[in-house]
Amino acid sequence: MLRYDSTSSSAGSSSGSLSSSSSSSKPPQQDIDGLLAGAGYKVRSSELRQVAQRLERLETAMGNSPADFSQLASDAILYNPSDLACWVDSLLTEFAEPPPTCSSDFIVDPVNNQTVVNSSWTAAEPHTPQVHQNITYDEQQSLDNQLTVVTAMEEDSGIRLVHMLMTCAECVQSGDLSLATSLIDDMQGLLTHVNTVCGIGKVAGHFIDALSRRIFQGMGGGSVNGGSAFENEILYHHFYEACPYLKFAHFTANQAILEAFDGHDCVHVVDFNLMHGLQWPALIQALALRPGGPPLLRLTGIGPPSPDGRDSLREIGLRLAELARSVNVRFAFRGVAASRLEDVKPWMLQVNPKEAVAVNSIMQLHRLLGCEQTRNSPIDTVLSWIRGLNPKIMTVVEQEANHNQPGFLDRFTEALYYYSTMFDSLEACRIQPEKALAEIYIQREIGNV
Amino acid sequence: MVVPLNTWVLISNFKLAYNLLRRPDGTFNRHLAEFLDRKVPAKANLVDGVFSFDVLIDRGTSLLSRIYRPATAEEPQPNIAELEKPVTAEVVPVIIFFHGGSFAHSSANSAIYDTLCRRLVRLCKAVVVSVNYRRAPENRYPCAYDDGWTALKWVNSRPWLQSQKDSKVHIYLAGDSSGGNIAHHVALRAIESGIDVLGNILLNPMFGGQERTESEKRLDGKYFVTLRDRDWYWRAYLPEGEDRDHPACNPFGPNGRSLEGIKFPKSLVVVAGLDLIQDWQLAYVEGLKKAGQEVKLLYMEQATIGFYLLPNNCHFHTVMDEISKFVSSDC
Repeated sequence: MLRYDSTSSSAGSSSGSLSSSSSSSKPPQQDIDGLLAGAGYKVRSSELRQVAQRLERLETAMGNSPADFSQLASDAILYNPSDLACWVDSLLTEFAEPPPTCSSDFIVDPVNNQTVVNSSWTAAEPHTPQVHQNITYDEQQSLDNQLTVVTAMEEDSGIRLVHMLMTCAECVQSGDLSLATSLIDDMQGLLTHVNTVCGIGKVAGHFIDALSRRIFQGMGGGSVNGGSAFENEILYHHFYEACPYLKFAHFTANQAILEAFDGHDCVHVVDFNLMHGLQWPALIQALALRPGGPPLLRLTGIGPPSPDGRDSLREIGLRLAELARSVNVRFAFRGVAASRLEDVKPWMLQVNPKEAVAVNSIMQLHRLLGCEQTRNSPIDTVLSWIRGLNPKIMTVVEQEANHNQPGFLDRFTEALYYYSTMFDSLEACRIQPEKALAEIYIQREIGNV
Repeated sequence: MVVPLNTWVLISNFKLAYNLLRRPDGTFNRHLAEFLDRKVPAKANLVDGVFSFDVLIDRGTSLLSRIYRPATAEEPQPNIAELEKPVTAEVVPVIIFFHGGSFAHSSANSAIYDTLCRRLVRLCKAVVVSVNYRRAPENRYPCAYDDGWTALKWVNSRPWLQSQKDSKVHIYLAGDSSGGNIAHHVALRAIESGIDVLGNILLNPMFGGQERTESEKRLDGKYFVTLRDRDWYWRAYLPEGEDRDHPACNPFGPNGRSLEGIKFPKSLVVVAGLDLIQDWQLAYVEGLKKAGQEVKLLYMEQATIGFYLLPNNCHFHTVMDEISKFVSSDC
């Protein structure tokens, strides 16, 4: 693997004035290419080569589908253009570039110590749309004289990090804790070369933490998190504010429920996890505005028993009842305290055969997927009594990831992809401290995997 | 053929970004262009011996310019209230600079040009006035030339820019790419006006013509630039319906004007050997010579476009030396 010497291409710089300004909390300035900084671009010297390679890939992609490219200009959400590495990456992702194959590798020419793009040289035909770039770049550091083939993938520290994470998880699964520990050390080192403010670096940091906690707490399941229920509530609340996912899920579920309840005078919603009841004010108001008038609404909220003797279910129910009264919706609430969904019996819900029932499950069903596939696994139990209720509609919201496979490695892999995406999307969130707290919330979820 | 890695990254990035901005129907994504352009503010505090400030030269066209001044022994730290304090030296060259960008891109406050202008100040002990001329395709010919001309008149009429020796402003016109083209045409306008331009400095000036020259065919797409994009920019700048033999594009072409017998300033023309439009640039030099004008050609065989943006190659230093000699030979 070719190592890049950061002292190379800024050689010979005169006293270029760095009149560009905005300082950000980025990794150490020593490694930033001074000349490019003067041009307004923050690129680390160690990353220059990767950025160059990716620019080349982007150019190829552009040549291959010019129509998509102009689409890119109007549709793509572009990141900070000063951070060239991130910017080029975001464009490449937009382009859904397939990973490079060996044909676009770089070959170090041992004679001239230069890097030559190994693209084929055909005689230029007058009508050919393809343009053959024969401009290359020069690495002025000392190179090995042997012929080395470098793929763009392997150079990428981020990708290496992912590989190492996977390997480490594998070790944890197979019980090889000493190798896992040394991998953790290596990864911590690698983290210093990667941008940890955004992208893979940030997520990797959390995963490394979670992994090391797991290793040092020994093998065994159970939640790795501390955190009181109160803390978790606060984090949940901020997560809700920062991300649109839950709001969107609630909105969509409510729409479906509203449609299913059309024409019914008595309706009953069973909520598998009431939490703060954030989903229901909107539904109550929508029912109030229904042409022909609102139905009688019953809400049964299931939730864990409150540890401190408060009846939090009842409190939420009271607040919702207040709201319903203010918009003239006849409303009845029942709370069902249960730590596990499979402990709930259908008779507790007191469903009237004449009413239209909606069952609403937000992020609850995956908890019922246990490791054992017994005859009466929790998920089967619950699903069968749901059927027994004969609901008009069931709304299910789940994470788009399989976090319940028996193998740790499988769960780990799924989690890595899933949470990377979550973190990436969080980058768009501007409000603090919501964003930071939301990240902690996700962090804890990661620890739980 | 090689360029340093950071230069390659810089120019390739421009190429990529510019491709995003040019639309096939001839319009330009100005919002995205402004978002992507790396800009820097003026700095009235000294940075490496240079301070800068922006002035509004013409309210009607919102014509701004950025002025760069060197700190001197007499005034080591400029006073914000006295940015337009008179220059004190016997002779102070004033370089009116037109940034490049093929008439469509960049601004006077683009980071790359801010850096270049600061270098020129230190190199030539000059005041540099970088003109933020109106750009195509929103503003076609002759807007850029009009703005250049306005700036020239403004500079010439600033008492504080007059050299002590003769109470006149010692003016040079300079520019790269489209800026070089503008410098030529502004110098032309100056001729009948009685404003003295002491010299023209053209870095990779942007010229063209209907014909496809040998260098265009040979180098199309090879070194960051394609004929297609060159054509796009001319179509964006020239009046609608005009072709590339319009004198703005091809000053010594079939519609050009003879400069024989005219007191045109001496010229320093820098041509990059890997620039696809070099045949047009060399034809320009020939045109000046044939008209009996003084011109020095610097042909940098191995240079690509933009080599003067980063001081990491030998062409850069050669050219800077020549510019320094060119400007000081009058002092």
